[in-house]
Formats: sequence, C-alpha cells, structure tokens
Amino acid sequence: MEKTLKYRGRLAQTRIYLGKFLRMFVFQNDWKALPAGAVIAAVVTFVVGTNLFVTQEGTINGAFALTCGCIWNGFFNSIQVVCRERDIIKREHRSGLHITSYIAAHMIYQLILCLAQTVVTLVICFLAKVQFPEVGLITRWSVLDMGITLLLITFAADMMALMISSLVRTATTAMKTMPFMLIFQLVFSGAFFELSGFAQKITYLTVSKWGMESICSIGRFNEQPMVTFWNTLYQLRNAEIDGMKPVQIYVNTVFQNNQLNDVLRWSGQQNQKLAYASDPQLVLQHWGVLLLIAFAAALVSVIALEWIDRDKR
Amino acid sequence: MNEELWSGLIALLIRILLMLFAWIAFSVGLYKVLRKLNVKRAGTAWIPGFRYFSFGKALGRPVEGIFAGLLEVLYFVLSLIPEPDNERLTLVRALLLLIVVITLYIYRIRLFLRMIEVFGKKARWILLWLAAEWLAMLIFGFSKKLQPALSILGEEQSGEEPSSGLETGRAPAHLAASGLSVNLRARTVRDYGKKRYLLKDINVEIPNGSLVMLLGGSGAGKTTFINAVIGYEKADTTILLNGADVYADYQNLKYRIGFVPQQNLMRGNDTVQDTVRDSAEMRLPTGIKRKERNERVREVLGQLGLLAGDRGLVCKKSGGQLRRIAIAQELVADPELFVLDEPDSGLDGAIAREIFTKLRAIADTGKIVIVITHTPDRVVDLFDRVIILAKDSDRIGRLAFYGTPQEARAFFERDTMEDIVVSVNRAEEGGEGLADHFVEKYAALTAVREGGAA
Repeated sequence: MEKTLKYRGRLAQTRIYLGKFLRMFVFQNDWKALPAGAVIAAVVTFVVGTNLFVTQEGTINGAFALTCGCIWNGFFNSIQVVCRERDIIKREHRSGLHITSYIAAHMIYQLILCLAQTVVTLVICFLAKVQFPEVGLITRWSVLDMGITLLLITFAADMMALMISSLVRTATTAMKTMPFMLIFQLVFSGAFFELSGFAQKITYLTVSKWGMESICSIGRFNEQPMVTFWNTLYQLRNAEIDGMKPVQIYVNTVFQNNQLNDVLRWSGQQNQKLAYASDPQLVLQHWGVLLLIAFAAALVSVIALEWIDRDKR
Repeated sequence: MNEELWSGLIALLIRILLMLFAWIAFSVGLYKVLRKLNVKRAGTAWIPGFRYFSFGKALGRPVEGIFAGLLEVLYFVLSLIPEPDNERLTLVRALLLLIVVITLYIYRIRLFLRMIEVFGKKARWILLWLAAEWLAMLIFGFSKKLQPALSILGEEQSGEEPSSGLETGRAPAHLAASGLSVNLRARTVRDYGKKRYLLKDINVEIPNGSLVMLLGGSGAGKTTFINAVIGYEKADTTILLNGADVYADYQNLKYRIGFVPQQNLMRGNDTVQDTVRDSAEMRLPTGIKRKERNERVREVLGQLGLLAGDRGLVCKKSGGQLRRIAIAQELVADPELFVLDEPDSGLDGAIAREIFTKLRAIADTGKIVIVITHTPDRVVDLFDRVIILAKDSDRIGRLAFYGTPQEARAFFERDTMEDIVVSVNRAEEGGEGLADHFVEKYAALTAVREGGAA
C-alpha cells in the first residue's frame, strides 16, 4: 500500500510566505513606506503639533490629523499587494497554497510594516516637541499607549485595504476604490460632522471613529482647557448693547484678575465628552474594536481569495 | 370645467393610443426580426421581458438579453406601483425608475447595435433607433434588403449535445497501470442552464518517459483538456497516473503533477534561487531534509542552466530565463506528469529549441511531459508523440489523432505539423474544415486497431 506523503501545513506555509515578503521588503521598495510615513507625520505635527494635547481644540484637530495619516499609511501599504499578484496566487493555490497562510503571512508582514511606521511617526512627534500627557492610561507611559493606538489604527486600515485588494481583480480598480474608502473614513469619523440616526450608526464601522476616540482619551481631552469660548468672547468684545460694552467689561475683568486660565479650564469642563473620557476600559474597548475590524477584514480577504480558482483564465 | 376635463381626457387618450401604437409597431417589427433570425418562438416578441431573452439569444448576446428582459419586467412592476403619498417614498420610487430606465436603455442600445452588426449595416442606424425605435424595428423586420449577414444561431447552438454524434474513439478496454491513462468521456459546462459540451471522447495512453506535443487550432480545447487531465477542472473522466486515480486522490496527486502556465507567474522582486527554493519547500514532502531539498534546488537550477546569476532578481532576467525559472519552479517538485502551456511563447527559435531540448532531457528521466505549442515544426523531432484536438461541426473538441509525428504525417497526408493543424481548423478560421473527416477516420482506425488487438 502506497504511503501517503505529508506536505507543508498552514503554519509552515505562513513562515515561507512571511520570509518571502520580508525579503521582498527591500527589493520591492516597500521600505519607501517608511519615509513616506515620516513625511506625513511631519506635515501633521507641523500643522497641529503645538496645541496637540494642550487644548481641547488642538487635541481634536491633532487626533483627527494623526488618525488620517495612519489610515493613509495603512491604505497605501496594502491596497495593491494582492490584486497585483492575483494570477500568481491562483497558480500557487492550485499547487497547494493555503489562502489562510497567505493572508496570515501578509497580516504579520503588514503588522511589522505598520509598527515601523508608528515608530517613525512617534519619533517625528518627539522631534516636533509634541507634549504627550505625563501618565499613560493603560501603561505607565502615555507614549506607549499612543503608539499602540497609532499602530492599531494603521493596522486596521491596512487590513481594510488588504480586503479591498482581495476583492477586486485589478490594481486600477483598487486605486479607484481607495479615495472612496478614505472619504468614507473621514466623513464618518464623527468628529467634525454632526451625524444622527443611521449615519451615526455607520460611524461604528470606521477605523477613524475608534482611533480618534482612543487618541483623545489617552490625550486626556476632558481635562484640557477649551479656547474657542474665550476666542469668541474676545472677538465680540466691542459689541454694544444699550450703549454699553458688557463683553469688554468682562474681558477686562478677567485680564485684571489674571483669571484667563481659570476661564479656559472652566469652559473645558463645560465641554466634557463621554466618548473621550480618560477611562482605561474605554480605551481597551476601542483597541478591541480596531483589532476586530482588522481581523474581520482579513477574514473577508480569505473568503474572497478562496474563490480565486474561479477567475477566468 | 367640463371642457377642460374633456380636453384632458382626449389628450390622455391620444397619449395612450400613441404609446400603444409604438408598442405594437415595435413588437411586430421585433417579431419579424426574430423570424429573420430563425427563432422558432418568434411569438415571444409580444411578451414583455421574455421578448428580450429571445432577442438577445438570437443575436448571440444572451446576457444582455436577460438583463434587458429583467429590467423591462422591473420597469413594468415599478410603473404599476401607485405614486405614494409620502414624499420620501415618491423620491425613492422616482429614483429607482430612473435607474431602471437608464440601465434598460443602455442594454437595449447594446442589443440594437448588435442587431445592426448582425445585419451587416453601419452603426449610424442607431440614430434612427434613438429617434423612433418602433420605426427602426419595423424597417429591419419588413425590409427584404435587410437580412442577417452573420449566422448567429449556428454559433449559439455550438457545443450542444449532437443529435447524431460522430463515431469517435472508444474507451480503451483496460487502463494501463503505468504511465498516464486518459479516458475522457465528456467535459461540459452549463450556459444559462443549458448543458454545453467542450470536449468529448478523448482516450489516450501515454507511457512514462514520453515527450508529447498537444496540437489543435484556436478554441479546440487544448487548455480545457490539460486542465481536465491534471484535475484542475473536473470532467467526466478517468485519469490514472501510474495507476493512481488523479480525481479520487487529487489532494495528494496534485503534488506529483507540475503545470507551467503560459504566462510567467512569479514575483519579480525575489531572487531566482529563493523563488525556486520556496517552491521546493512548498511542494516537496515534509520528510525531505533541508540539505536534500537545497541539493535538489541546485540540481534543477543546474539542469536548466540557471545556476549562474541565481542570486539575481527574477525581474532582471531575460524572456528565455524567465521561462526556465517557471519550469524550475515546477520541476523542483520532481513531478511524474509535467504539463507546459506554450513554454516557447514569445521566444525566438534558438532559445525555444534550447528549452525543448531541456524538456526532452526531463522526459528521458522517465517523466511524462505534455507540451502545448503553436510553433511545432521547429522542435517536432524531439517529440515522441502528438495529440491533435479538433473542433468538430458541433464545435466540440475531439481527438483527431494520437500517435507518433511520423504516423501523424501519414494519417493526415501532410508534411508539417502546422499543415495538419490547418487541415482540421474551421474554414472561417483560415483552415480546411476537415475536422469531422479526420475525427471519424481516427475513430475508425482505433476501432480496427482494437479489433486487431482483440
């Protein structure tokens, strides 16, 4: 009786493909994702870095910009990786490649790439003298908390792009899809547009919402002063009511009594947002959702590619 | 008030009559067109939705026909829904109607353009259709000058089970325990629920150590045959590779079969050595030690002349080298059956010959090597056998010959392999259209051989 031979299982195949991807990291110019990520981080910190984690407005703008940068990085990391070698995958699948191994190898490789991009972003933040909160929420260091958040945002976006890349047949289609995905993430982040009803529910599917909320929580948004109220008052200081200038009087009083910081802190206290509460449980929950999105996208990628044999010759 | 009501009613009546007239005129025109296209059930021209199924099918555009038909039905259904009171629902209904009408219009334009093509007329006829489709349809239906120039129905019926099939090679009485035994009864597909034959009755037995050329005109079913033989696309067949049933034990046997596709499907940004080494690790059994595996990689690279520059990137290699790398990826697994789809595609004569010489050497090690090629004569001397597939009058791929190249020349009474392919190709493809003749002749020959053997 003929002995049944054993061939490489899923784990071994994952190792083989991970090795292949890591080798190709250098040859395929994937390393260019790192300086590109650095440029994005530099632009973001240059624009919003000064007030990031200093005022509520600075934090929300900075969190949004950082989230967008991470999503951008993640999308560009993997939007073409599967579709550009679809024929190769089909060939390898017919010779015994497990799709789960292929996607698992991509997940690990992309995680490493995202980690490198996160480190680059944090270094740029340091160089731009961004003031991180003194104490972390989950770990002892807020930088580490922030790093994990940025990593998860980038990774979740990366996996979503991997999913798109697995669903479409050509690189052109993938690139055409990407702007829609980006716009979707930006509009439905829930940060700048008032959304209600069904639209508000859609925000639960976005990486941007969970990422922003995590950054704001770790950045201690609710403990920060708000400047919008004071700026508005200051602009209205010359407004006359019945021949009087009540706003001017109030502004002068604040200055005379050196109460500006109190006013700013007070207005910040009036602008508390539950979603941005500095609660470790909340942040852990957000991290969990980001991981869930990443794994769900990877699962869809596997299912989509399992059908690859049906591609036309 | 009464006058206003009356004038309104009359305007509505005129509108309805005009619509009815256009609908009847279009249907009459379509009926006549369907008759011209030899559609048996031309009366379907009167049935909304279904008429487009018939129209599309008759024009050789069944997908467009189905979509147009479904959209027309959907349009009717949406039109029948009374306008809702709710403003939002009205908007949704209007939006849906708009989408359906636009899509329907596009599919109808596609069908009409196809009709113009079938009738051999210029595309500007579409302008008349856009202005008054009923008039265009009446003209195409009734004008004796306008007749179909293409025989679409014949094409459409291609591949259906023939009512009086050709006598072809019968299944061998026994299947060999060594080598490759192919007893392909049929390879069919379902086209919109209808069974269509791609291949029928192909029986060959290939001994180990053979280099076999697979020939046939375009669309004869060469790749379909290969995919069926290697078990990638299932057919009604029995394939035995050295006594093992390929279909029954595909999960294990797929590692013993190497297939090199027509395109160079490999990652350009990896080195040659690593590409082949990864293939070896993926495809060789786990029991083989790393050292043995690496030796095997070096052996194959050496066999195919790839050792020099094996540290270089795949994307930097020439066309001939790329083909050899593709072969190395499969050969490294030491397959018993090795199939190559046009390994000489895009290569000049000398390099192509070099590759075929390597394949000859591989076959000499006891493997079965089957090669599809479109330039057979420059390398035919290297081959042991030739399989010739031909598309018969029912457009089904059949076996026209299997034997040595010398026997093939005698059988077809042609001097070159290319002339043999031309002889079995259809007339409209530039061939001699003798496929049926040779399929029957070969069937008779095998019957005599088997009779003699018995």
